[in-house]
Amino acid sequence: MDEAQKTAEFMARIENGEKIEANDWMPEEYRNLLIKQIHMHGVSEIMGAYPEKEWVPKAPSIRRKLALNAKVQDEIGHGQMLLRLAEDLSRPYGRGREALMEDLLNGHVKFHNVFHMPAPTWADAGVIGFLVDGGAIITQAALLESSYAPYARMLKRIVAEESFHMQYGESVVLALAEGTTRQREMLQGAIDRWWEPMMFFFGPRQMGQSAEKMMHYRIRTKTNEELRQKFINRYVPRLQALGMRVPDPLVKKDPVTGEWGYTEPDWVRDTEMVRNNSGPQSQARLHLRRQAHSEQRWVREAVMHATALATV
Amino acid sequence: MALNAAEYRVYEVFVQRDASQFHVNVGSLRAVNSEMALQMARETFFRREEPCEVWVVPQDCIVASPRDSAYLPVHTMDKQYRLPAGYDNAPRWKRFKAKAMTIEEVAEEMATHKQGGA
Repeated sequence: MDEAQKTAEFMARIENGEKIEANDWMPEEYRNLLIKQIHMHGVSEIMGAYPEKEWVPKAPSIRRKLALNAKVQDEIGHGQMLLRLAEDLSRPYGRGREALMEDLLNGHVKFHNVFHMPAPTWADAGVIGFLVDGGAIITQAALLESSYAPYARMLKRIVAEESFHMQYGESVVLALAEGTTRQREMLQGAIDRWWEPMMFFFGPRQMGQSAEKMMHYRIRTKTNEELRQKFINRYVPRLQALGMRVPDPLVKKDPVTGEWGYTEPDWVRDTEMVRNNSGPQSQARLHLRRQAHSEQRWVREAVMHATALATV
Repeated sequence: MALNAAEYRVYEVFVQRDASQFHVNVGSLRAVNSEMALQMARETFFRREEPCEVWVVPQDCIVASPRDSAYLPVHTMDKQYRLPAGYDNAPRWKRFKAKAMTIEEVAEEMATHKQGGA
């Protein structure tokens, strides 16, 4: 069977709602799109732990410290599970964990814009759990029906764990909203900082070529705009209920179409920030990651060596 | 291998019931090789149900944790803070005249079979 025929059969399977497994034949384009998506998702989970980890020692109570630490553990765990999937897909290219991690350190794989930003106050730590995780939950829930079965299965597990993240983030935000004027101002300040990055988070209305192709292969099934609208629709009423201001005068629901308006984020500036790792915290966090990776290399080598000796 | 050379190898059988689920262990069997083990798994465990995929794994390839609670990640202390149920957000949202939100509700909204709903 030639390539074109195999691709046609593959597409018929996809259109029939069938799921693809790691060892199934797949067009190279499908494999590369999956690697791009899952690799980016995996390293974003890991880089996403950094802004929150900064707040573990500074969290205001032992319970908050425990909970935030548990969330950081979850994010690193999700990164590990997703990188395994990207590694299985990268096997034909002879690339494993080391290569995928080096890609992050060398700037060959991007991570989500939100994790390049600083988290200057405790309210930022809470708003990350509330808005950033809220947005991530929406995109991940939309991927539960992905045509790539290993990804869909893993996301089911990840989303179940995110359920705690959602309640935790809301709990921190509620505590601040119930608090003093200063606490409420701190919360408003964090919302002001995170609103625009969240609009960027879902990507442009006019999707790029890869995103379009991912829709074609049903790796994802919702457009950027659909996801952003779901997010605004859920979170604007919640922010308003808390008496918080959404820092964008264009955020209004069109009474006819039901669509929410919003100010376009600075697409050029933020795309460049993600591409060049030139955000306020990009290099500092990558530095920590690089340090962990290189300073612990000798440990990985030592245990590999010891295992090799033991099995001689 | 400490096994009696005259006996077949023991294989643990794992079944995946549909593509959305992980494989689960359903039992074990003896077989002369992995090909026969797969065949036997079908004969022994799946005469009626139609599994999506079956794995057979030589039992001596499995590394198991001790069942002793000291080795297992059991909840030896209060871990409510790790669980959604450890948070009492609903009455607090109510005081702000808003409803609590659950992840199940988000997943339901994102499922494509519910097209059309905003």
